[in-house]
Amino acid sequence: MDRTFSKSMVWLHSWAGVIMGSVLFAIFWMGTLSVFDAEIDRWMMPQTRLPAATQPVALDNIAQAVLPSVPAGASQWRVDLATPREPALSFSYKLGKESHAQQLDPASMTFIPDQGTEAGSGFIFPFHYSLHLAWFDTGKWLVGLAAMAMLVLLVSGVVSHKKIIAQFFTFRPRKRLQRSALDLHNLSGLAALPFHFLITLSGLVIFITIYFPQAHEAAYGGGGEKARSTFMAEAYGRYKRPKANLPGTLASIDAMAQVAEREWHGGQPYFVRVWHPGDANSYVELRRSYANDITMNLDQLFFDAGTGALLHRFQASPVMSVQRFMSGLHFIRFNHWTLRWLYFLGGLSGCVLIATGYLFWLEGRRARHAKLGLAGVRVVEGLAIGSVTGIILATLAFFTANRLLPLDLAWSQTGWPRATVEMGVFYLVWSATFIHGWLRARHAWRDQCWLIAALAPLAVTLNWITTGDHPWHAMVAGHHGVLGMDLMLLLLAVLAATAARRLGNLEGKVVHA
Amino acid sequence: MIASTTLRVLGAVGGGYAVTALAVTTAGAVLARLGMARSDAVVTAAMLGFIVYLLLLLWGFAVRSPARLWLTLAGSAALLMAVRHLFT
Repeated sequence: MDRTFSKSMVWLHSWAGVIMGSVLFAIFWMGTLSVFDAEIDRWMMPQTRLPAATQPVALDNIAQAVLPSVPAGASQWRVDLATPREPALSFSYKLGKESHAQQLDPASMTFIPDQGTEAGSGFIFPFHYSLHLAWFDTGKWLVGLAAMAMLVLLVSGVVSHKKIIAQFFTFRPRKRLQRSALDLHNLSGLAALPFHFLITLSGLVIFITIYFPQAHEAAYGGGGEKARSTFMAEAYGRYKRPKANLPGTLASIDAMAQVAEREWHGGQPYFVRVWHPGDANSYVELRRSYANDITMNLDQLFFDAGTGALLHRFQASPVMSVQRFMSGLHFIRFNHWTLRWLYFLGGLSGCVLIATGYLFWLEGRRARHAKLGLAGVRVVEGLAIGSVTGIILATLAFFTANRLLPLDLAWSQTGWPRATVEMGVFYLVWSATFIHGWLRARHAWRDQCWLIAALAPLAVTLNWITTGDHPWHAMVAGHHGVLGMDLMLLLLAVLAATAARRLGNLEGKVVHA
Repeated sequence: MIASTTLRVLGAVGGGYAVTALAVTTAGAVLARLGMARSDAVVTAAMLGFIVYLLLLLWGFAVRSPARLWLTLAGSAALLMAVRHLFT
């Protein structure tokens, strides 16, 4: 190909965009929602809409409450403490290969019944980085490839523009769709360019050990499991000791937390994990909270369970702290509402960027492909519809199913856990939107926008009927997560209805032209 | 045209990744030898790897011919393997 640099970048931009746009939109959409994963959890798990704890709960009381539920022979149990966004305690244990999780109300120290849903933190968030394709980490590799494509798209998008400043200040919403789509593409791409670049790069950096699995091999003298675990221990920290197979006791965890507070200069643990419970060699792991830091520190302390003596301490090395800073920048696990909303907007601007990229590609080729009898526009349009409006619709179906499926039905007897049915609804609706997109072509945009406009308020209404938490009640009761989610759903409905009406007008014009 | 494009995509995406991965592990060993803590050396190299791969991808699609792309990748890989051999 004899071509200039900028021509090859334009070629690369349109092909990488068309091929990877679909996966990228799914990643951006799910990532944007993950910014509020805990709030989605509250909405989808009504019995966890608890008031935020006013004072810390004694760790020994927690241990006392959960210990009767830890089966003999469990290899570990763990409790993640409540936070302002996660008012319930999360308890889990591992028995052999199986793990079991349950939530506790910290006020009454009683277990909350299983809410039968993967919700935001169990479905939406893992979808964002793994696409729920676990086989050989296929999903994570696809996400990695898409992330590299995103970086390539950002660079090639910027360098292929000649008048970038002028285009930044140009938006002509009333012009032809192709023109407005391009203006909006340039605007969302440039205004949030630093966000898009950093969020993509930091997302890749989180998974260095997945994407460069052999990175340590030359420095650690080989590719064996031993070299790998040595590297992991030096980078991420690890402490292990075998079972003694003799009975043991559990000393006060609160006393251990006091030692931790001294060691961490006031730092608090965010989870407690007890290894080999009941064994003489049992030990307790405390991890330091990063609720007030960007850097997701790796500070960890290990105590002998019987005596409470400090066995091992770990802190990340300087470069590892940079990696943890990049990770924290991506995860936003720290408490900061303004930034959280800005991340949400940044994520949405990424969604707009990808969707308008598709629209521009389609509108630019529609007439020519129709004249030449090419299938390109037809194929890509169905793909784009399913990927953009389709995944939004599927997400709304997921929310709606969550409020429609009864909690107490004997799902286990049908062989389908309730959470699986919810996810099944998501995938079923998502697949249907692609088929609809290919069958109805450009009309499907409008159809699906109308469906979004109908389904989003339905989800809000169902939440009201099934939990009594209508927006006003949610506000008075202090369920801000629920209130926020309801308001966003209503806003989505308004936006979708507006888009559907304008699409209808555009189609009308085409017919009369 | 199709063959040339296929060669280019394979070279840039697959070959580019292979060279990047080799560069990451080599750089990890070199940095460790220069006195950096081993785990820090590896993590530094791995984080920079994404930027290296990005540059290789962009260059792979801009370079004049797929032949030139593949020759450069092969040359870099040979050089990296030699360096890796020297430092481990």
